[in-house]
Amino acid sequence: MGGTARGRHDADPDAPLWRASQVFRLVTLAYAVSSHISTVPHYTRPGLGWFFIALLAAWSVLSAVLLSRGTQRWKVVALDQIVAIALMGATRLVADHDWYSNHQTMPTTLWVANAVLSAAVLGGPVAGTCSALVMATVSAVVRDQINLDLWRDATAPVLVAVGVAMGFATVTARHAHRQLAQAVRMAAAAEERDRLARQVHDGVLQVLALVQRRGNELGGPAAELARLAGEQEAALRMLISEQGTRVDRGEEQVDLRALLRARAGTNVTVAAPADPVLLERGRATELAAAAATALDNTALHAGPGAKAYVLLEDLGDEVILSIRDDGSGIPDGRLAEAEAQGRMGVSKSIVGRAEWLGGVAVLDSAPGEGTEWEIRVPREAPRA
Amino acid sequence: MRDHTSEPVTVMVVDDHPIWRDAVSRDLDAAGFRVVAAADSVGSAGRRAAAVRPDVVLMDMSLPDGSGTDATVAVLRASPGTRVLVLSASSERDDVLGAVKAGASGYLVKSASAAELVEAVAATAAGQAVFTPGLAGLVLGEYRRMSATVDRRSPAPPTLTDRETEVLRFVAKGLSAKQIAAKLTLSHRTVENHVQATLRKLQLANRVELTRYAIEQGLE
Repeated sequence: MGGTARGRHDADPDAPLWRASQVFRLVTLAYAVSSHISTVPHYTRPGLGWFFIALLAAWSVLSAVLLSRGTQRWKVVALDQIVAIALMGATRLVADHDWYSNHQTMPTTLWVANAVLSAAVLGGPVAGTCSALVMATVSAVVRDQINLDLWRDATAPVLVAVGVAMGFATVTARHAHRQLAQAVRMAAAAEERDRLARQVHDGVLQVLALVQRRGNELGGPAAELARLAGEQEAALRMLISEQGTRVDRGEEQVDLRALLRARAGTNVTVAAPADPVLLERGRATELAAAAATALDNTALHAGPGAKAYVLLEDLGDEVILSIRDDGSGIPDGRLAEAEAQGRMGVSKSIVGRAEWLGGVAVLDSAPGEGTEWEIRVPREAPRA
Repeated sequence: MRDHTSEPVTVMVVDDHPIWRDAVSRDLDAAGFRVVAAADSVGSAGRRAAAVRPDVVLMDMSLPDGSGTDATVAVLRASPGTRVLVLSASSERDDVLGAVKAGASGYLVKSASAAELVEAVAATAAGQAVFTPGLAGLVLGEYRRMSATVDRRSPAPPTLTDRETEVLRFVAKGLSAKQIAAKLTLSHRTVENHVQATLRKLQLANRVELTRYAIEQGLE
């Protein structure tokens, strides 16, 4: 039942339940036999009684073996119900009314519980309850004791309780097994994806880096290819390295290095310590934004082919962020001129951010010598 | 240091990617170096370095059986006279510090041009330290980390002189040795020496640290 082509283990989550209930079956068999030995003197036809008990024993062993092995269990379970009912009915053949109306039926209530257990393990709480009600009814009918006095006769409540409890246990076990199997499959799939990603990425990165090198050597249109390959290499690397250290983990502290490295590329080099530079989220974003403004300005004004260098230094209670480019630089007076004209310049934006963080930003530039911003801010927000 | 006017500099390439090994070997051969061996793992790097004793080893950081740091240790143990130049992808930059502390004398990103590679190998063979801005940033950070985490039992950590810090910051901001020399009115040679000193102190401190650890653990 259950699984088809999958492994036995996968297909049979309730094998332990089946095996446990077969132990119960054999224990109840022992009880049924000893109970029979003590009651057989009261039977009108003890010989027939022994025959039925032999049948009971044979069926117990056979069904225990078949259910443990797990082949066509539903047939065995159906037969189990029939055997239990038949044996209860057989009580009328071996004893007189006086006896059976005052005692439990022949295979004993305890043994009959096996039929309920099998039904519950096979079909869950509903099947278990149905089987319990059938068994309790048959028992009452056979004994000619149809009354609702549950105080004197606990057969029905006990059997129903067994059916419901075992049924739920089975459902839970199957559910847990399914979830476990799914989790194992997902973990295996993720691992395989990771492995593939590593190999594919690694190979692709090598080729991209190679295209970049060769393209630059060849020059001309190939240099354009080299530039594209370089950008893709940087982007792909960023993606991979960020799998390990995600920039945004929704935490209060953010690694400023990761924010800055998001801007690294062919023309932007980022130098930073090997250990994370953790800052409160707001401060880190503000600093990264200041760096981005400076870098954007470089891209705009420093001239073609200008390279930018970002250096992040962690002095413990202070952080220094330098953004330098090797471009054409800013002619003397141009910044002041722009400011005088009331234009909210790059300079103002960067200085403003640094001051808001309780620090300073200094610009150093000369024509032909590139531009350098040095932003120094305290690590913690200044106390108001 | 050898006189490489008479004999070509010998190089061993350690990388598990055949495309790279071939490309790099071709460039080096064309530039007059002699690529005497290649290795694709930590194990083979150690064994081959012992056999061929190359002047320079070009080291990738990620190998199938370990890191470039492990391979650097293996190579330098097998052939102490060899100089290791890390040629690595930029995403592995934090590991590069480990290789440099273990004795590698420089770092170059894989996207560097053939001309830059040839120049870096020549500089490494000549006993110079090859720094990228990224490596300078890592080394600066490492000195600051060491001075920030002093514990009383260990000897005082190495520190940079003001001049060394100044030079290293310039390197980290992308200035060439020549530009730094001009800015500080020093000779090119002096700038090189400052840069080398920062690495040497770091490597020495690393060896002292390892020895102290070994003694503490009763391994020696």
